[in-house]
Amino acid sequence: MDAPLRVVIAEDSAILRDGLVQLLIDRGFVVTAAVGDAEELHKSVERDDPDVAIVDIRMPPTFTNEGLRAAIELRQSHEGLGILLFSQYIETRYAAELLAHDAAGIGYLLKDRVADVSDFVDALVRVGSGGTALDPEVVTQLMGASRRAASIAALSTREKEVLALMAEGRSNGAIADALVISEGTVEKHVASIFTKLHLPESQSDHRRVLAVLRFLDS
Amino acid sequence: MSQWSGESVKQREGDDVAEAPRGALVSAMVMVLPEDVGTKLREIAVTVLRSPFTKRSWSELLFLVVGAALAVLDAAFVVVTMAVGIAFAITFFGLAVIGLSLRGSRGIGRIQRNVARVLLEEDIEEPAPFAPRPGFLGWLQSALRDRAGWRAMAYVFLKIPLALLAVLTALSVWVDAFECLTYPLSRGAQPQSVGIVRIFGPPGYLSVGGPRFIQDVAIFMSGIVLFFVAPWVVRVVVYLDRLLLRALLGPDAVSVRVRSLEHARAQTVDASAATLRRIERDLHDGTQAQLVALAMRLGMAKEKLEDTEHLDLDRIRELVDDAHRGAKEAIFELRDIARGIHPPALDIGLEGALATVAARSTVPTDVTVSVAERPTPGIESIAYFCVAELLANVSQHARASRASVTCTQHGRRLRMVVRDDGVGGARPSVVGSSSSGLVGLADRVHAVDGRFDIASPPGGPTVVTVDLPLEI
Repeated sequence: MDAPLRVVIAEDSAILRDGLVQLLIDRGFVVTAAVGDAEELHKSVERDDPDVAIVDIRMPPTFTNEGLRAAIELRQSHEGLGILLFSQYIETRYAAELLAHDAAGIGYLLKDRVADVSDFVDALVRVGSGGTALDPEVVTQLMGASRRAASIAALSTREKEVLALMAEGRSNGAIADALVISEGTVEKHVASIFTKLHLPESQSDHRRVLAVLRFLDS
Repeated sequence: MSQWSGESVKQREGDDVAEAPRGALVSAMVMVLPEDVGTKLREIAVTVLRSPFTKRSWSELLFLVVGAALAVLDAAFVVVTMAVGIAFAITFFGLAVIGLSLRGSRGIGRIQRNVARVLLEEDIEEPAPFAPRPGFLGWLQSALRDRAGWRAMAYVFLKIPLALLAVLTALSVWVDAFECLTYPLSRGAQPQSVGIVRIFGPPGYLSVGGPRFIQDVAIFMSGIVLFFVAPWVVRVVVYLDRLLLRALLGPDAVSVRVRSLEHARAQTVDASAATLRRIERDLHDGTQAQLVALAMRLGMAKEKLEDTEHLDLDRIRELVDDAHRGAKEAIFELRDIARGIHPPALDIGLEGALATVAARSTVPTDVTVSVAERPTPGIESIAYFCVAELLANVSQHARASRASVTCTQHGRRLRMVVRDDGVGGARPSVVGSSSSGLVGLADRVHAVDGRFDIASPPGGPTVVTVDLPLEI
């Protein structure tokens, strides 16, 4: 990380907002603003031009999906702004809505994930640099609901694990670390998965995520 | 009254012998009758004298005329269709005609309700709409079982004698009054009416003979009397019709009950959904956020502990301190939420639970419970939440110095009275304000056939009475 990532936080719970600010500063990020609703989020993005926005899905005034709406609007008005949606629950439909066009610079995590500080920071950095970070829960739900269950069943256990980590948006290196195997082995698994699922090989990580998600969601 | 008294005093003071008897009579009346009885008599006299000139009297008369005409048409329809229907009752055709007759009766009922609404200002609620089952047989079955249809038909039949009564009495008295009043002018013509007077003889029967002039005056005078009596005869007959209308053309008791139960069920379902949503919101915004922040701090502390080269103990201690405080707050909030779902104190009984809730109130509150039998858990829960909510309202809005809760058993009912000496003015209808909680309470109470009354005049005191059955 050469220049520190500039982050805006939109979270209505004061306890959590303060905690996040503390954590991010502690980890060397620059927090441009910490706000409590979507309107303030729009204003602060306009003013500070941050790299990433951490956005709580449920915020005042209606406590439904203000954050998601704001995120979709920000994606259109501010190209290159990374968005990490932050939620108490995973709604697969929200993930699908958010990933409808592109998976670059998108994250969707359960709030619980901040407990594992390093993983959370990794995800934030990934989103900030144009990558993808999907919660394992999202991937599990997508795989569970997928009509391609028969194709998935053809994968080995290890390949399923690799597929899930790919869908979360991780690079080969990160997958290798997570599964404690060599990067070469990961590449072999990835190639095998793409062959078995009849997916075209993709260059960048986020294109790969999108391909996998499209496959699962179709 | 005061005018009369004044006059009588003046009469007595002035020594006018000729006026003395009248003055004495009036003052005697004034002395004998208490003031309010005198006023009452005067009111009655005014009412009687005015009645022929009121809109109501003429509307009622019109109702009887229109009603009699409609009664003939309605009866003709019902008699003909039912006769045909019954004659062919062993075939589907006959049953279908009976079904049509019942559907028609419902239509007649609607017309009668509208006539009553316009002319009598009698607002009768419409029965539940006809909801046939699908298919011809379904329609037939529904039509033949349609209680509203049968009741409307019963009205049509009972209306026949009532219309006859109306013609013979109420309408006749009017005709008689008119004839007597015009007798001196139309003396030569033969009387045509069929009214009471006519039944006993021509208007002339009233006079015992004597000169024509006396006879004319006597008949004319009786016309005046009849003119003032007629509206009241009309009113009595119309009253009978009103009873019949209400009994047969409104929703019957069973369907009223069904409707109120349906309403209560909808409210209960909505209320429990709202309660679940509130609990979810409390957990989401409070405890869950609290625990996430706590886990995050512990995560940060853990990572700092792993970095053994630059051990920042002060920072770690700070993080653990924050986490510790967060854990205690989360426990506290969780306990509050759990209590909002089911107060543990209720397990030992209403008395203990109410004492606990009163002890937590910021306004000093006396609790008296004398209930011989334990209500069912559902009732106990409603009773508890009513008191808890009412005491919370007292704390927040009443500016009271004392409050009391009494809970007593009356037969198979439980009565709770929550009283405070605050500023009053509590109204359950203010939606969106804090007192919308009162509406929710009232709904819960009504759902179990309870009663919820608030007496809260501006300036206080506020007394809320909740009456619940011991079991649902």
